[in-house]
Amino acid sequence: MSATIEGGRLQTAGRKAAAGGTRAAARRPAPARRTEETGPARVQAPAAEPRAETPLVSLKHRHLLGMQGLSSEEIEVILDTARSFAEVSTRTVKKVPTLRGKTVVNFFMEPSTRTRSSFEIAEKRLSADTLNFSLSQSSVVKGESLLDTARNLEAMAPDMIVIRHKASGAPHFLARHCRSNIINAGDGWHEHPTQALLDAFTIRGKKGRLKGLRVAIIGDLMHSRVLRSNIFLLKTMGADVVVCGPPTLTPVELERLGVQVTFRIDEAVEGADVIMMLRIQRERQKGGAFPTTREYYNLFGLTVERARRAKPDVIILHPGPMNRGVEIDSAVADGPYSVILEQVTNGVAVRMAVLYLLAGGTPGGLAD
Amino acid sequence: MLIRGGRVIDPATKTDAVMDLLITDGRIAERRPPEKGRGGAPAGARVLDAAGLWVCPGLVDMHVHLREPGQEHKETIESGTRAAAAGGFTSIACMPNTDPWNDSLSVTEYIVAEARRKGVVNVHPIGSVSKGGRGEELAEIGDMVHSGTVAVSDDGRPVGNSYLLRMALEYTKIFGIPVIDHCEDRTLSATGVMHEGYVSTVLGLEGIPAASEEIAVARDLAVAAMTKGRLHLAHLSTRGSLEKVRRAKEDGVVVTCEATPHHLVLTDQAVADADYDPNTKMNPPLRGEDDRQALLEGLRDGTIDAIASDHAPHHADEKLVEFDDAPFGVIGLETTVPLIMDRCVRAGVLTPARFVELLSLGPARILGIKKGTLEVGADADVTVIDPGLVRKVDVSQFQSKSRNCPFHGFSLSGWPVATVVGGRVVHELQPAATR
Repeated sequence: MSATIEGGRLQTAGRKAAAGGTRAAARRPAPARRTEETGPARVQAPAAEPRAETPLVSLKHRHLLGMQGLSSEEIEVILDTARSFAEVSTRTVKKVPTLRGKTVVNFFMEPSTRTRSSFEIAEKRLSADTLNFSLSQSSVVKGESLLDTARNLEAMAPDMIVIRHKASGAPHFLARHCRSNIINAGDGWHEHPTQALLDAFTIRGKKGRLKGLRVAIIGDLMHSRVLRSNIFLLKTMGADVVVCGPPTLTPVELERLGVQVTFRIDEAVEGADVIMMLRIQRERQKGGAFPTTREYYNLFGLTVERARRAKPDVIILHPGPMNRGVEIDSAVADGPYSVILEQVTNGVAVRMAVLYLLAGGTPGGLAD
Repeated sequence: MLIRGGRVIDPATKTDAVMDLLITDGRIAERRPPEKGRGGAPAGARVLDAAGLWVCPGLVDMHVHLREPGQEHKETIESGTRAAAAGGFTSIACMPNTDPWNDSLSVTEYIVAEARRKGVVNVHPIGSVSKGGRGEELAEIGDMVHSGTVAVSDDGRPVGNSYLLRMALEYTKIFGIPVIDHCEDRTLSATGVMHEGYVSTVLGLEGIPAASEEIAVARDLAVAAMTKGRLHLAHLSTRGSLEKVRRAKEDGVVVTCEATPHHLVLTDQAVADADYDPNTKMNPPLRGEDDRQALLEGLRDGTIDAIASDHAPHHADEKLVEFDDAPFGVIGLETTVPLIMDRCVRAGVLTPARFVELLSLGPARILGIKKGTLEVGADADVTVIDPGLVRKVDVSQFQSKSRNCPFHGFSLSGWPVATVVGGRVVHELQPAATR
């Protein structure tokens, strides 16, 4: 699907998008599926009846709570839309009026540099009014509950809330109690959907496809929301996923998500098209999951020698923040196969796409 | 009072027949074949028409948290006993995790006195095993038994120290009361919030492995075998736990155990289906389907001796938070009977007699209270159930002060319609509500 932005208006190749949309709608899971499948529908209520003037591309859901439950058509729509938004960031005037008059609250209850600035830049380039709200400045430190904080934010009538929270399911909690569109910017160990989307956008940009690629994801599997979102996205898009980490940091029954699980990094890296490294938090060592960071590096660190087992054109991703010398050698992180900084660049385009699509793109907001 | 024409189900006397039940002076005075008309009722006696209904010995819930003294915003003895009456329970045993902790004669006496003043069903306190529930040294169990305690338990806290458990199982032989243990190896369950399995992996929530319960069950059974004391295991939730108890019973260990309605009806999938609703968070957590099936087998084959609600009220504000931060526990007094009637009796897992055993005779025997039967001379505690009544669970109608229930909106068949304590009707479902 081709998409371009002209004067702030998103144009897509209509026929294909419409066909895709119909297919997606036909595949919308019946409510009964939620009980037989093991996962919840990550996304809440279906979108309100699309208005006649709604653009051809749109998501089926009001919120982006996770990658689980999103169809390959929806993922493609987001990635295609992101491609057109990527171009905006290369202009001299990096701004389109798409979300003019919309208010977006960035509600970050956990430290974050990359994700928060990425969302903020994306919102500003779409001309949205933004409000940043972080843990240290919020009344949460005075003992206000998440619900009360959210209700107070809602009282100011924002259109969207981007939430980062230490508790898995916190975005679902907001989605239950708020009218705004909720975007999950990382919840506990659960999901970080825009990270998976920007990873996919980066991979697709380099490899031209996702289907059939061998992707190795290595690191702390247990505590990683990046892992879970990536597994859902990559499996939906037809990639082969192998995951690798210490057994002490591997959640139970992970293989039921359709991934190969190994405890040997050489096996994971072998023949990989993509290597995705996950951050190891040093606190995990104190929790007893491995004896020392030195031993972790010896067993699971990505070195140049190990990376050689992958395909010659392998690309290496890391969601950041990196621990050089713990999970990744600087020679790899800064080497020719690393796309780590491109991921950051792409993050803005992908988040612009998500914000745009969830906003429903009313024509009034799109006019120049 | 005359309860006329109901199906009297009383496994203690091996009775399952339509008969009239005459109650005088708070006791079962006579059981006789049904008579037509008003004949046989003493002048002025109330007649309760039970045609088509089950007439059971008053149900006993041996695992309830009444929260009073100390946490009256969650529940009081008054509201908790009203919830019990509405749910068909005529006797309940309340756990000692109050504030102050029930580890002394004075707290036990307070509970007994307050229950007499404001309670509408029989309340039997469970005292603490250890002083302050700290798991260090025995509480004054003799004092508490003297003032009405029917069992001891450190409740939500497992008796963490095997030596103390030994002392408790030996010391309680003086009084013939059971030691009730919550089985959990806290070094393994750590900071987990739900059952460890596929669903916790997908939801990114920290797991509580089945083994954390099973390790404690195995230890408790070993100590019980050694001491020959009376051990009762609360709210078992895993296949492994039941297999260990089954084997121990075969080996002659004196042990009984209970299961809760929520573990019998729901699995960990409920946490996902409810999108992290903290009303699906309790300890032990909702387990996998294989564990649930094992519990149903345990009900059938007699490994499980009682069904108990583990009624654990929490104020709405305490549960309206992130899943990780919410307290463990759900209420159950007002949903236990319809859940078990619908999901176990109607589903063919339990016979009516076995239903009464698990909810009345079984727990009464474990606690050593003279309840659980409708034989002539027994206390006139009676629960009347309409096996065909279909209603929806509506938490807004609960008598309990709390609403933390994962079953709101469930349509269930088989509800208690009248609860009689000592010959007095303490709850009756209004006909309007039965429509």
